[in-house]
Amino acid sequence: MENEHPLTLADQVRSIPGGEHLEMCYSCGTCVSKCMIQQKLEPEYNPRRLLRLVTMDMREEAFTSPTTWLCSACDLCYPACPQQIHISGVIGAVKQLAVEAGYESPLETVAVDEALCSGCGICVMTCPYEAPHLIEKEVNGVMDRFSEVNAEKCMGCGMCVAACPIGAIAREGVSNEDVASQMRIKPVKDNPSLVVFVCDWSLRVDEDMSLLESYPENVRVIHIPCSGRIDPQMALMALDSGIGGVMVCGCAPGECHYKRGNYVSTCKMSLLDRMFGQMDIDGEHVRFVQIGTQDRGRIRHEVDSMLASLQKEVA
Amino acid sequence: MVDAARHPKIKVKTYTNVDRVEGYVGNFKVQLREKARYVRADKCNGCGDCARACPIEVPNYFEMNLAPRKAAYVAMSQSVPLLYTIDQEACIHCYKCVEACGALDAIDFSQEDKVSWEDIGSIIVATGFNHFDPSVIPEYGYSRFPNVITAMEMERLNNSAGPTTGNLVRPSDNTTPKRVAIINCVGSRDKRFNPWCSNFCCMYAIKNAVLLKQMYPDIELSIYYMDIRTPSKGYEEFYDRARSMGIRFIQGRPGLITEDETTHNLYVHSEDVALGKVVEHEYDMVMLNQAAVPQPDVDTVSSVLNITQSPGGWFMEYHPKLRPMDTPTDGIFLAGACQGQKDIPASVASGSAAASRAGRVLHSDEWAIEPIIAQVWEDRCISAQGKQCGICAKACPYGAITVETGTAAQVVTAKCHGCGGCVGECPHNAITQMHYTDAQILAQIRALLAEKPEEKIFAFRCHWCSYGGADLAGTSHFEYSANERGIRVMCSARMDPDFIYEAFRLGAGAVLYSGCHPQDCHYITGQLVGASRAERLQKIFEKMEMSPGRFRVEWISAAEGDKYARVINEMQKSIDGIGKDKLKAEIERMKPEMEKRARRMYDVPGVTQASDFSDTMALAMSVQEVGDGK
Repeated sequence: MENEHPLTLADQVRSIPGGEHLEMCYSCGTCVSKCMIQQKLEPEYNPRRLLRLVTMDMREEAFTSPTTWLCSACDLCYPACPQQIHISGVIGAVKQLAVEAGYESPLETVAVDEALCSGCGICVMTCPYEAPHLIEKEVNGVMDRFSEVNAEKCMGCGMCVAACPIGAIAREGVSNEDVASQMRIKPVKDNPSLVVFVCDWSLRVDEDMSLLESYPENVRVIHIPCSGRIDPQMALMALDSGIGGVMVCGCAPGECHYKRGNYVSTCKMSLLDRMFGQMDIDGEHVRFVQIGTQDRGRIRHEVDSMLASLQKEVA
Repeated sequence: MVDAARHPKIKVKTYTNVDRVEGYVGNFKVQLREKARYVRADKCNGCGDCARACPIEVPNYFEMNLAPRKAAYVAMSQSVPLLYTIDQEACIHCYKCVEACGALDAIDFSQEDKVSWEDIGSIIVATGFNHFDPSVIPEYGYSRFPNVITAMEMERLNNSAGPTTGNLVRPSDNTTPKRVAIINCVGSRDKRFNPWCSNFCCMYAIKNAVLLKQMYPDIELSIYYMDIRTPSKGYEEFYDRARSMGIRFIQGRPGLITEDETTHNLYVHSEDVALGKVVEHEYDMVMLNQAAVPQPDVDTVSSVLNITQSPGGWFMEYHPKLRPMDTPTDGIFLAGACQGQKDIPASVASGSAAASRAGRVLHSDEWAIEPIIAQVWEDRCISAQGKQCGICAKACPYGAITVETGTAAQVVTAKCHGCGGCVGECPHNAITQMHYTDAQILAQIRALLAEKPEEKIFAFRCHWCSYGGADLAGTSHFEYSANERGIRVMCSARMDPDFIYEAFRLGAGAVLYSGCHPQDCHYITGQLVGASRAERLQKIFEKMEMSPGRFRVEWISAAEGDKYARVINEMQKSIDGIGKDKLKAEIERMKPEMEKRARRMYDVPGVTQASDFSDTMALAMSVQEVGDGK
């Protein structure tokens, strides 16, 4: 009894490691309610439906679905799935098939400025998605090394932008210039100013985000795609320009949208803390807060207490 | 319960443990440990003066810890018999209760556990189920958010005898909630915790919603569900009624609950599957409909009673369709949710059924058992010769064999169920199984391997599973090699190594050793005996350098006809792959070793005659074939 039917999309997905068990989905919707992308970015995003498209062999729809391209494999859904389906694995398998079939990622990805790139490879080490890699090519008759970004893999977190020592890698909206231009605050007398770098994914509830935006002018909110995008130099620049304090707001451990961005920022921020200690700078000027999905309303406490401690210093 | 307690023929023993069970159907001896209550049962009249005098308060388990109880307490006001108990873990020995009891003199701090043995005819196990603890699901925040409660807590809150006299209030501020969400399948249908559907929670959620809606017509109620399962009579109509009352049903399993820290209101995040988008609704209170899980002490109970568990820990029935109330041990029956998650009507029905099954035992002077019991040849048993052995007793899943060095092993006939595990294990062939004697099985093996044995695939199938699997393969018309020859024994435990050696000695091309999956075994642990033996055999044949694929061990259930056909076809392929000449040479090479290993079987009574008999049979068959002109 040999199976002579052509492989269905489900068969193909199952045969890719990570794509197994997709037929176990009973459409409970847990993954969709866990995921931030539908709420924050794309209303059409729905992993449950993608799994359905795959089981029903709807190839074209599956390959063009935003779900296929936007999943960043944060795996918030996987531990919550009652059927223990590794959803990001299934989505990754669909994406792989889509790329093989010639579809392209609609995401805006980072690009390397070859005039600046020295080929040091720091971005290669930093990227959680293995998107950049080093290539060698001939420029003006001399072999040179450059970083090149695989657009199918890049999720646009900006960790490489923060890591690049020359600023040779960037994408619109998260380049060093874009961030720095937002940092200028007119000093208000007797009122300390605060810059809050907020990761796009860390505040699950819209109310928390609008609350943050509603602070008076001395609190400047700067949106970054991930707390891993933060560069300690930015904090130093901010403090240097007379801003009282810098707060970085990222996701709770284990909940990073880009796999390990919040781990990277944890390291950077604690390093900064130690530096301040060595430089004999007293008081709290930099704070890193990690807001979990269930920490509704916590951001208000954090900003208020930071402002209060800055106020104390001014007085 | 009160009627039962008053019945002259019913003795109710509460606060009592079953420590040991010995004997067999109709003749059980049961050791009971009546735990010390520190209150004399003959004197206490249940007035409750001791509890009123007691100064110690501890959480009340019956009220789901929503109210306190005293150290002198009754579990609940409807307890039968109504006897107070003094909780020694909480008691501070102030003796105020003794004072309060006064002339009645019912309190006795010198009481000790009372151990007694009782003669019992049959036993019904009705230990019920337990509730899943939802605090292990972090996303629902149970035990962190005060207004997230469980179904059982809701049950106490809207009970007029409960801690709030039936007023539904929020634990955070004692106000009546206006918006309540009920979340189904908390810990059920969830492979991380319990894979099963807990059966009654859908109806339970609807019942609670309807009750609350009747009590508070303005209340806003939402039930989050994955599927609403209303399979019994009148259930779907009840679901319709709930919807017509304005209760909101949202399809979608919530992924997260968050709490507003000042109001303690809760936000339930879920996908609304019908809308295909994530919705966030605010509620004053959330009820988690937690899964039904087996009692925490099922292992103790099953080892005391020698009954088995299904995967997950529910007690296993003898047969899921034909004998759903019986356990593998005769005279022990199951009632209610200890056997599997059941709602009230099903539990009552199973209780009545178990009682009538137990009544059969009590009303009969004789008990019919299967005639396939094991019997010991006393002159062959080495225990009778004063040597240490007891292998048979270890193999018996029912504890039916007693071995004392100096006398032959004894089989308690009433306990024996005829799996043949002891027979297969006995290294001296000193036990036989009636109707499955070595001689009878050997006769079958010889008859089936009389001609061209090297082409044959000889299959040993257990009666309950793999024989059914082979049968299903046949009735489903799954094609498999016509070279298969199978015989039936009761259990894979009966598949004596001697039979396998004999089959190979006679030149069988391949041998299949098949039985039930471990959890399906009809004889409690028979399959385990068979499986460990099969493993030993595999190692032996490996050492003898047998070509791979000639001896195969497979566990095939009665529902796996396709697997049976596939296994046989694969075996055919592997003997085809070896090649006829090489196979024949291998059979010849191994013959002396096989004969040496099976030697003890040849002097078992009847075996020689069986060989002769089957040779005559084979001859007769071949003569007939010639006569038919084939």
